[in-house]
Amino acid sequence: MINPFEDFKDFQTEARALPLDRLAPAHDEAMAALTSGYTKLVEQEVKSLVWFVEHNRVIEAYTVACEVIRGLDYDGQHIEEFCYQLESGTAMPYLISGPAGIYISALCNHVPEDDMVLRLRHMQRQMHFLGYRLPHGKTLRIEGDTGNFTGAALNGGQLIVAGSSGDWAGAGMTEGKITIVKNCGRNTGEWMQGGEIWVGGRIHGLGRSVSGRIYQAGDPVTGRER
Amino acid sequence: MTTTNGTHLQTVRELYDFIQSRLYFNRPDLRLNGTAYNSSLLLNLLTAVLGGKSLIIGEPGLGKTTAAEYVGALFYRLPVGTLWASEVAGHPEQTEEKIIGRPDLGKLNQGQEEVVWSNFVQLPVKIVDEINRLPETKQSMILDGVDRGKWEYLNEIIINDEYCLFATANYQDRGTNTIIAPLLDRFDVTVESRYPGPSYAFLISQRQEKEKLLRHPELEGELQAALRSRLLPEERRTRLAAISEAFGAFLGESFGLTTLDGQGRQELRRQVLSMPLNQDGNAFTRTLLAELSFCHRHGQKRSNEICDEGCHYTGYLCHRLLNCASNRLPVSVTNYSKALAWFAGADSVSLEEIRAVAPYCLAHRAQWTEAHLSLRQQDRRNDPFHVYLARQAINEVYQRYSEQADHVKEALGRAYRIFQGEGLEPVAGDHPIYAEIRKDLNLEE
Repeated sequence: MINPFEDFKDFQTEARALPLDRLAPAHDEAMAALTSGYTKLVEQEVKSLVWFVEHNRVIEAYTVACEVIRGLDYDGQHIEEFCYQLESGTAMPYLISGPAGIYISALCNHVPEDDMVLRLRHMQRQMHFLGYRLPHGKTLRIEGDTGNFTGAALNGGQLIVAGSSGDWAGAGMTEGKITIVKNCGRNTGEWMQGGEIWVGGRIHGLGRSVSGRIYQAGDPVTGRER
Repeated sequence: MTTTNGTHLQTVRELYDFIQSRLYFNRPDLRLNGTAYNSSLLLNLLTAVLGGKSLIIGEPGLGKTTAAEYVGALFYRLPVGTLWASEVAGHPEQTEEKIIGRPDLGKLNQGQEEVVWSNFVQLPVKIVDEINRLPETKQSMILDGVDRGKWEYLNEIIINDEYCLFATANYQDRGTNTIIAPLLDRFDVTVESRYPGPSYAFLISQRQEKEKLLRHPELEGELQAALRSRLLPEERRTRLAAISEAFGAFLGESFGLTTLDGQGRQELRRQVLSMPLNQDGNAFTRTLLAELSFCHRHGQKRSNEICDEGCHYTGYLCHRLLNCASNRLPVSVTNYSKALAWFAGADSVSLEEIRAVAPYCLAHRAQWTEAHLSLRQQDRRNDPFHVYLARQAINEVYQRYSEQADHVKEALGRAYRIFQGEGLEPVAGDHPIYAEIRKDLNLEE
C-alpha cells in the first residue's frame, strides 16, 4: 500500500532542547525583578488608600513605574507571565487595575522588542491603561478584553485589542492607531488630539475629541468636538 | 532551468505581455512576490497552458469571451474567426447535434451512418458562451466532453488529445439557470472579468480595431475547409497543424511573437507539471483539504447531512460548508499553482502560489451554509461574493497553518514513520488534519 506521507519522509524537526539549567535561574531573576518593581509602585500608590484616575496621578504613577523598571532585564514573555501571576501568583501584592496597567504599559514601552503580544484571555479582571503612551515603532497586540483608558495618551504606536475594551479608549492620544476588534465603551476618543481609533464592533459612546479619526465597523464616525 | 525551459517561459510571458498591451486592457488585481497581474488574463492563459477549464464570470460586455478568444488564438495558433465559428452558445434550444455532431445526411440517405463532427468538438480551444443559459437538463450533455475530452455521437467517438475549455457565465437574470454541481466541479478555476475602470474602458473605446489583429480570413477559410473535409482523422490533423503553423508564421511576421506547435505545447506542459511543491505548500494544501472535508460527527462532509451546533470543530471551515471537497480540487490547486510558480520563474511551488490560486479553485466548488452566507453578505469586498468567501476561507486556514506549521509537518513526518511500521504515537492537535492523519493510519475508532 502506498504511503501517503512519502513527501515528509525526510522531515526533521529542529532540536528544541532548552538549556533549562541556565534559563530557569535567569527567568526567575527577571520575574523577581518585575514583581519587586510592581511592589514598589503599589507601595507608593496606596499611600492615599484609594487610587483615583486623575491626570496628575496617572503621570506620577507612570513616572514612578519608569523609575522602578530602569535597568531591569526582561522581555515580552516575562511581561506576559507577569500578567498571569498578577491574578494567580502568591508572590504578588494585591492587584490594583490602574497602577498594574500603567506598570505593564511602562514595561511594554521600554522592552527591547518592537512587537509584543499579551495573551490575557484567561484574566478575570480587565486591566486599565494598557497601551498607555505606547511610542512610535512599537506594536502591542492584546488578546482578550481590556479595561478603561485603553491606549490612553498613545504616542504613535500601534495597539491592537483582539477583544473589547472599556470606557475612555484612546483618551488623550496624540498619534498612532488603536484597533479594537470587538466593541468599546463610552467616551471613546475623549481629548484625542490625533491618530486613529478603529473599532470593529460598536462604540457605546464618543468622547469630545480635538482631532483624529474614529471608525466604527469601517465607517467614519464623528464625535463631539472640543 | 534548461534553455528550452527558459525559451518556453519567455514565449508564454511574451504572449501575456502582448495581450495585456494590445488586446485586453484591465487593471492588475493579483499580486505575487511583488509583481501584479490581471487575474482574468493570467488564469485564462494558465488554463491554455495546462489544458484546463476556466469558468469566466462577469457582467455582459466586460470581455469574458474576448479574453478567452485572445488567449486561445495565440496559444493554439488559431485565427479568431475560426474560434468564432466553433463557439457554442448556451441557450434553451441548444441540441446535441449543434454542440457535438450530426449524421451526414447524404450518407444517411444511402443507408450509411457517418458523423459530421462540430468544430467545437474538433478544435483544441473550446469556448462555451453563456453556459448558464443552457437548461440544467442539457448541461449534462457536455459533462464527459468537458471532463475527459471524450465526445460520442451515434456509435462514433472522438477523443481530444489536448484541449482547454473556457465557459462564460453572466450573473443571474431571468434567462439564466443554475450550473449543476457536477459540471461546476469540473471547472478548475472561476475567474471574474472585471470592469476595467473608466480609464481603461475609455481606452478600449478608442481601440475598436483590435479584434482584427488576430483575424486571417484566408487561413480561416482553409481551416474551415479542413474541418469539413472527408479526410481520415490523421490526415485532417496534419492538415490542421499545417494551417496553424502558417498562422504562427503570420503572428511572428506581424507582431514578432513566437508561438508553440503541438509538440512544444506538450513539452511545456510536462515542464510545468514537473514543478515540485515545497513542504510548506504540500502541508498547507493538506491542512486546507482537511478543513474542507472533515466532519467529526459523520466521518466526512456529505451534502445531504447537516452539521449540528455544539461540535468541537465549529471554528473550522467544515462547520460552514455543506459539501465535501472533490478530488478535482487538489488537482486544480496543485496544477494552477505549479503553472503560476513556473510563470513567475520560481524553482518550486511555495505556499504563496497556492494561496494565490486556491480561492479561484475553491470559489465555485464550495457550498456554504445559509447562516455563513447571510453573515458575510454585507461585508465590504472587492471580489465577487463566492470568490471573496473562498479567499477569506483560505486566509483563515493560512493563519491557522502559520501558527502550527512545524507541528503539522512533524505530524506528517511522524505519520510516514508510523505507516512504515515504527511504533510511535501520532502527533496530536486540535486541527482536523491530526484527526485525518489518525484515520489514514487506521487509528481512529
